[in-house]
Amino acid sequence: MTHLPYIAAAYALAVLVPAAYGLAAMRRLRQARARLAALDPRLAVREPGR
Amino acid sequence: MTRKRRRLYLLLACGLGVGTAAALALSAFRDNLVFFVLPSDLAAQHPGPERTLRLGGLVAEGSVVRGSEDGHPLARFRITDGRDAVPVTFSGILPDLFREGQGVVALGTLGQDGVFHAAEVLAKHDETYMPKDVAEALKQKGLWNPKAGPPPPASTWNTLAPAKAGG
Amino acid sequence: MTAESSAAPGGFEMASRAAMFRPVDALSSLATPAAPKAPGRGLHRFANPGRFLRLAAALQPWLTAGGLILTAAGLVWGLVFAPADWQQGDAVRIMYVHVPAAWLASAGYLALAVCSVLSLVWRHPLADLAAAEIGPVGAAFTGICLATGSLWGKPMWGAWWVWDARLTSVLVLFFLYLGHIALIRAFDDPTRGYRAGAILALVGVVNLPIIKFSVDWWNTLHQPATISLTGAPSMYLGMLWPLALTALGYTLVFAALVTARTRAAVMERRIRALLMAAAAREDGAVPVAA
Repeated sequence: MTHLPYIAAAYALAVLVPAAYGLAAMRRLRQARARLAALDPRLAVREPGR
Repeated sequence: MTRKRRRLYLLLACGLGVGTAAALALSAFRDNLVFFVLPSDLAAQHPGPERTLRLGGLVAEGSVVRGSEDGHPLARFRITDGRDAVPVTFSGILPDLFREGQGVVALGTLGQDGVFHAAEVLAKHDETYMPKDVAEALKQKGLWNPKAGPPPPASTWNTLAPAKAGG
Repeated sequence: MTAESSAAPGGFEMASRAAMFRPVDALSSLATPAAPKAPGRGLHRFANPGRFLRLAAALQPWLTAGGLILTAAGLVWGLVFAPADWQQGDAVRIMYVHVPAAWLASAGYLALAVCSVLSLVWRHPLADLAAAEIGPVGAAFTGICLATGSLWGKPMWGAWWVWDARLTSVLVLFFLYLGHIALIRAFDDPTRGYRAGAILALVGVVNLPIIKFSVDWWNTLHQPATISLTGAPSMYLGMLWPLALTALGYTLVFAALVTARTRAAVMERRIRALLMAAAAREDGAVPVAA
């Protein structure tokens, strides 16, 4: 494959950056859900937890 | 309701204003927004020997002469836009995509002798994407000469089966 | 001594006080003080955070799974099975990440602009939160577009970067995103941040047609569009399919990220409101002697 370093770097960026965002969003979501449940269980059940 | 409508109209008016301002600004700076000038621009008006500028166009067919001078590679070719052509000299490594018929943009100065001395040559590829065997098939059938210009309309080749095209 | 007299003086305290009690009183309409009660008023039906959270939670797995599967399929197809270009060789494979990222950078900004109109004209509370969450995601995709473009430009053009109209206008888009991210969070009063961010986003919309048409209006090093609405794409179909897959996949990934972040933001706002309400009750229960 020609230009392999450039291709590899481009694909790595294109996969890793959204993946990092996804993991951060997941963590933030889980944290928010837990805090909300701790504050008020009545509110927490409004969202079907997964 | 009326407040919302008023805000909407206000927003539309502001949008109109910003759009007009941007359009005016862009047309005022029109000459500075071009990345390169064409050979016919240079033929119309010599920019002066001191002025560094970018010259863009196609590498003229049959014009490339690769030599060397004092151990450095020296390439001579002509950049054309179909109407005028400017001879160019460049000492350095040409980009991989450089070939006759390829779009290039050269940064340099135009000498009094009418020769453009490039300090840097960039390749400008077109918006066509085509597998190698399809390109070969088009060339074999005489439908396209890459040295002479852009490929034929995409609808004539973009569904060619590569197996058939390669054979 | 009453709760009011124990509060610190100042208009802001009083105003937030008033907002604090709302969540405790009316759980269902919390954080939507501006939502009108008129039934069926289109846009504001989704302003109810409870309804939004339920809808978004139901949508999330489809967006996430669809985005991951389509993107993975498109990337593998583009990286391994799609043919190399006759003149660019394998470097053309960078297109399968660069072009979708570029589309999403513009489309994301368009979404940001729509949220800003909803926010400025209709004062839609969810649009505020969504705008604040679209910004960082859009900036990331613009960053991917710029970086992969650079990685493509070096081997093909011979330069990492040139100041032509296309590249420069996309860089401006990147800075618009960054400015929006900073501005919308720059105020103590979030409402003012939302307002300022929305205005910045709408002024920046003028950049979108410039990006789109820069390659047609001016001569640029960047090539013009391969895919147009009017003509056949000047691209081999075996290259178009993986591009379509990654573009669709990236769109779903973008939507999934924004949805997840907005859900978290809605819940965080709820948490803040509950904490403030709890603090207010405590203040009231244990009055401080003046």
